[in-house]
Amino acid sequence: MDDFKVVGKSHPRLESAAKVTGQAKYVDDYVLPHMVYGMILRSPYAHARVKSIDKTRAEKVPGVLKVLLPEDMPDKLFNCSGNPPSPLLIEDERILTDHPLYMGDRIAAVAAVTKEACREALDELIIEYEELPALFDVDDALKEDAPLLHPEISGSNVVKKIEAEQGDVDKGFEESDYVFEDTYYTPMIQNVSMEPNSCICDYTFEGKLNIISTSQTPFQERRVLAKLMGMAENDVRITKPMMGGGFGERQQLHNQHVGAILSKSVGRPVKIINTREEQMYASVVRHSARITLKIGVSKDGYIKALKAKAYYNTGAYTTHGPTVVAAGSRKVNYRIPNYLFEGYCVYTNSPVSGAVRGYGNPQMTFAREVMLNTIAKKLNMDPIEFKMKNHVRVGDKLPAASAPLLSCAVEECLNKGEEIRRRIDEEEARNSSNNDTDIKEAWGTAFCCHTSGPSSKEGMSSSVVLINDDGTANLLMGSADIGQGSETILGQIAAEGLGIDLKDITITAADTKFTPYDTGTFASSQTYVGGNAVFLAVKDARERIMKALARIYETVGDDIVFENGRFVVKSPDKNCELTFKEAVSKVTFGQKGVIITGSSSYKAEEAPPPFAICWAKVAVDMITGSVQLKHIIEAVDVGKAINPEFVEGQVQGGVSMGIGYAMMEQIEIDKKTKKVLSSDLINYEVPLTLDMPEIHVYIADGYEPTGPFGAKSVGELATVPVAAAIAIAISNAAGEEIKKIPITHSYIAKGLRA
Amino acid sequence: MGNQTSHIHIYINGKEYESDISPNLTLLDFLRENIGLKGTKKGCDSGHCGACTVLLDGKPVNSCMLLAVQADDKRVTTIEGLNGGGKLHPIQQAFIEENAVQCGFCTPGMIMSAKGLLDKNSNPTDLQIKEALSGNLCRCTGYTKIIKAVKNAADKLNNEEKHSKLEEK
Repeated sequence: MDDFKVVGKSHPRLESAAKVTGQAKYVDDYVLPHMVYGMILRSPYAHARVKSIDKTRAEKVPGVLKVLLPEDMPDKLFNCSGNPPSPLLIEDERILTDHPLYMGDRIAAVAAVTKEACREALDELIIEYEELPALFDVDDALKEDAPLLHPEISGSNVVKKIEAEQGDVDKGFEESDYVFEDTYYTPMIQNVSMEPNSCICDYTFEGKLNIISTSQTPFQERRVLAKLMGMAENDVRITKPMMGGGFGERQQLHNQHVGAILSKSVGRPVKIINTREEQMYASVVRHSARITLKIGVSKDGYIKALKAKAYYNTGAYTTHGPTVVAAGSRKVNYRIPNYLFEGYCVYTNSPVSGAVRGYGNPQMTFAREVMLNTIAKKLNMDPIEFKMKNHVRVGDKLPAASAPLLSCAVEECLNKGEEIRRRIDEEEARNSSNNDTDIKEAWGTAFCCHTSGPSSKEGMSSSVVLINDDGTANLLMGSADIGQGSETILGQIAAEGLGIDLKDITITAADTKFTPYDTGTFASSQTYVGGNAVFLAVKDARERIMKALARIYETVGDDIVFENGRFVVKSPDKNCELTFKEAVSKVTFGQKGVIITGSSSYKAEEAPPPFAICWAKVAVDMITGSVQLKHIIEAVDVGKAINPEFVEGQVQGGVSMGIGYAMMEQIEIDKKTKKVLSSDLINYEVPLTLDMPEIHVYIADGYEPTGPFGAKSVGELATVPVAAAIAIAISNAAGEEIKKIPITHSYIAKGLRA
Repeated sequence: MGNQTSHIHIYINGKEYESDISPNLTLLDFLRENIGLKGTKKGCDSGHCGACTVLLDGKPVNSCMLLAVQADDKRVTTIEGLNGGGKLHPIQQAFIEENAVQCGFCTPGMIMSAKGLLDKNSNPTDLQIKEALSGNLCRCTGYTKIIKAVKNAADKLNNEEKHSKLEEK
């Protein structure tokens, strides 16, 4: 099986040269003829009623073409999420509103010939607000007398309660020798994609809407937008050009609806680029969470029952909320006979939560891993041994899941990761001159799993491969490369399947006019879901070639096989071998000529979890409480790595996001002024070069039978266990369990003083 | 402010430009909107992310934090000025080889910061590289491969220099 020619090799990204020379075109780099600019007036209050808007002066600003107010919008509620249709996606937001529910809510929009004129017009809009009480904490929102954010949706501020269950937890706790309970807290964080949310919307005289935008889910965005605009899907085209990251925040409509209506109003293309400030307070954040876990174990260290009660702060609108909570329930990498997850998705006037790398899992994994570490210590067991004793293996099912695992290389991850850890310790012991007894060093280890495609098994993708007459191929696919490298990965899968080189494949992707449907870039889908679609499309093309060869060689189809990238014709009198290119040239022209295309429709039947183990080594200054993060090791089972260096890059990047989550990132809201303080990249810190420890990555030699060439996924996985590993390491060094992130310096110093 | 303009005379990637511009135009907007050099990216427009890094008289600067008029009579190098004659610059080549590029939005700024460093220090340590890139935010890579790429680029440039010295002899 390991005889791959393209798969398993670390090809550089296909678009690398364009990116290093500055030629790669992102949304803001496009200039369309007659294009103008759009800007959005966002609520300065977390909760208010707009009493009046006077647009007279704004309309008089030279260069202003249109000022749009809430009353100019279609009277429709929608859900901006880029998930496939689901009753969980409650429709509760408007394009522009006179009842803003968070600081950043859209109130008005302008189009003007220059950005300066847009800004001036926004300044000249005279708006009278009535400020209303705002709720930021889930606890406040759940109080019986709390004002309701959406009384029309729910009789309380709970949007949805999500449950997942297996066995009987009460019975499980009765059978346990020890039962532990504790509560953990995780923060709201920002995606901080380097490229801000951007779109150019062009409503043409023919009644077509063309959009170039930062989009992870162009087909879902098209569906939601077409409905909002009262248009047919064939009249709406969304194209995703080069994209500066996503991490979840473009798994939804951002400003495309405003842009579309502005463009329709002025008859010219309208470009809207969020400022970084808008990104910080008005694009989606990770749900902050309060999670109470109750875990029952036997004396000999087996988990008997786990009950989770998790409150996720979804902010002012539903968007992804319930699906994030549900996703959080499904990623438990332990054998737990009795499992009950109760998740509450709660409205507040905080920034709107949505999809952020990990989608509900980092919160649960932080709580679970920290608590299991504490339990192991109380049982006098080594935490790694305790976790491995309960960890799922091939043939097991994740709690509340239906299908048994076909792959799980957790032992290899553990053994190799431990080897790296020992090597680091030995090296540091040899070179160490640290006699400072106030500095305590320790390791912490966390385990996790994630998913390959939506864990709800809603992943779908399709692909079309057009074989050129010289045996090269044009691959059309719906999946959106947002910087992670999926076009290269899917190109590698196609090249391997056709027995040609990667350079012989030209890719067109993520354009709703030219490429087939794909659920979207989220849930770490692209390699597994998109990859299976490509795998099947090239298989379809191969089979058509085999049929054509059978006609030419006057043999039956069974006598022709595709082996090691070649067609082998095995009839008794006419044995021969043809390369893909030879075969194509043979079947394309001539009396029996055929045009070769291949297509697929793939619907995920599984969403196999990839697994990770993360080790963190810290040095804590016991006097000042300062923490130096020295090493992170992450060992991953991603199935077959289609492009090992891409996997490594995803892990390294995921680790850096995990470090931010653990140690510095948090959207802060000032309780007095009710303003988001984290409105720029100074007041909201993200890891920079000097914040980074040494990162060591190990990729297990995994194989997932249902994946394309054995692949699972990696994108989100890498971020998930990092915060827990760091928290555990600091706990192990400083001697006190950490139940809340981010573990900022003041937090540790306070703990040490206590 | 309205109609007031300033005259600037500026060398961008070795080419001379003269222009009458608004005095409050940033160098970044001048490069992107007036000259059409879109390779320099706008990530925050407030000097925090480094995506807009260019060289001003050889020194890396955040072009969003400078007014274009401050670049009057100065030499500006952008990402478009690195490669020429169908050949990539060794730093660009190294970024590709080390897979130091993911989404690519920070890449031009990273490469310009790296160039600023390598022009004055041909054998930087890891720490010196980290310091030189500490104003460039990347959300994708965790920086590991970027730091490796800068080291690889240093080797490439040193080898090139050795070769050209040999040729001179």
